[in-house]
Amino acid sequence: MERVVRALTGTRSRPLPALALALTLVAGGFAAWAGQDWYHAAHDDRAAYAGQRDEALAAGEQAVQNLNTLDHRDVDRGLDLWESSTTGELHEQLSSGRAEFAEQVKAAKTVTTARVLSGAVTELDDRAGRARVLIALRITVKASDGAKTDKDSRMLGELTRTDGRWKLSALGQAPVGGTSAG
Amino acid sequence: MTLTRLLRRGGPPEPGAEADFADAPAEGEGGGEPESVEKEGGGESESAEKEGGQEPGSAADAPDGARPHRPPDGRLRRAALVAAVVVLVLGGCGFFHGAHQLRSAASARNHALTDTGATTRVAGDVGNALARVFSYTPDGTAAAERSARTVLDGRAARQYETLFEQVRDDLTEQRVTLSTRAVRTGVVELDGDEARLLVFLDQTSHKGGGEGEVTTAAAQLTVTARFEDDRWRIVDIKAR
Repeated sequence: MERVVRALTGTRSRPLPALALALTLVAGGFAAWAGQDWYHAAHDDRAAYAGQRDEALAAGEQAVQNLNTLDHRDVDRGLDLWESSTTGELHEQLSSGRAEFAEQVKAAKTVTTARVLSGAVTELDDRAGRARVLIALRITVKASDGAKTDKDSRMLGELTRTDGRWKLSALGQAPVGGTSAG
Repeated sequence: MTLTRLLRRGGPPEPGAEADFADAPAEGEGGGEPESVEKEGGGESESAEKEGGQEPGSAADAPDGARPHRPPDGRLRRAALVAAVVVLVLGGCGFFHGAHQLRSAASARNHALTDTGATTRVAGDVGNALARVFSYTPDGTAAAERSARTVLDGRAARQYETLFEQVRDDLTEQRVTLSTRAVRTGVVELDGDEARLLVFLDQTSHKGGGEGEVTTAAAQLTVTARFEDDRWRIVDIKAR
């Protein structure tokens, strides 16, 4: 009786652990592979760099738009936005010339709005936290008499990362014509 | 380890074959069992405590009844294994999905600047192509049009033809020389063999040849390019 039982349990128990062991190993292997694959994807330098590129572009487009938007009825808020979008030398220039500029805009009674048509990052040093962007912009100026003028503008911006945020540190028009400009 | 123990345990306690798949109380006893087995060496008191604590467990230990030790144990192990396998597979699938999501994210798919070689190449090719098709002398529009046939395709080629149809005669008449230079080129998007670029152009035109009037105009274009036959061809141009 005992022998029969032993034989019975023997045949019953052996295949199960073997199969289970194999299954567990396969599942464990899959989980381990997927885990390390995910880890690599999550810590991919390229992906991090691409993320910085997109952040810099978004911040650059927004900042350039901010710096080309100003309403004479609410100059202070507009200029606050200018200052919060910039850093470094550009920031200093803006804040030092702020009072004078505000007077000019209030006197001219203009409303300036801008729309970014397209933008691209041309250089990115994600370690130093510096980037350069090209922005094509349409600026609409509404004069005090209600006349509107559109002007397309191409801007070159330089961004610097400060406290994890990209801010404009330099902004200028792309020069036209170089030496042969008429 | 588990295997040998399972075999070892299968011997002495003479489990009744007929009680293979025991009822609920027996299963409850099985719950305590594996743990007491693990600590067989030192934890005598603990295993005793475990069994003492569970009413059905002590009942199964009674000398009279069939002792359903192994079968429920095996069943529980099987359940635990199945659970472990399920957890591992699900976890693996989760990681797999996560990795896929990360890789297919819009920012990761865009290789502008991350692939420096390809970015430089597409920017250079497109800048040169624009300079060539939009530069001509009064007698040399043919060269520009010939370039256009090799570097323009799709909508851009049709746009260019329409444009040239309109201005070709005027150009020759007024002896206009146009030279175009891509001053800045930025790659907005680069995904495999498709690219979108923002190009700032300077166009200098001389009228009447020689010392005629010279005007320089700025242009901003968004260009779509496709990589075909080992070179980038412009398929769409939009003035900005």
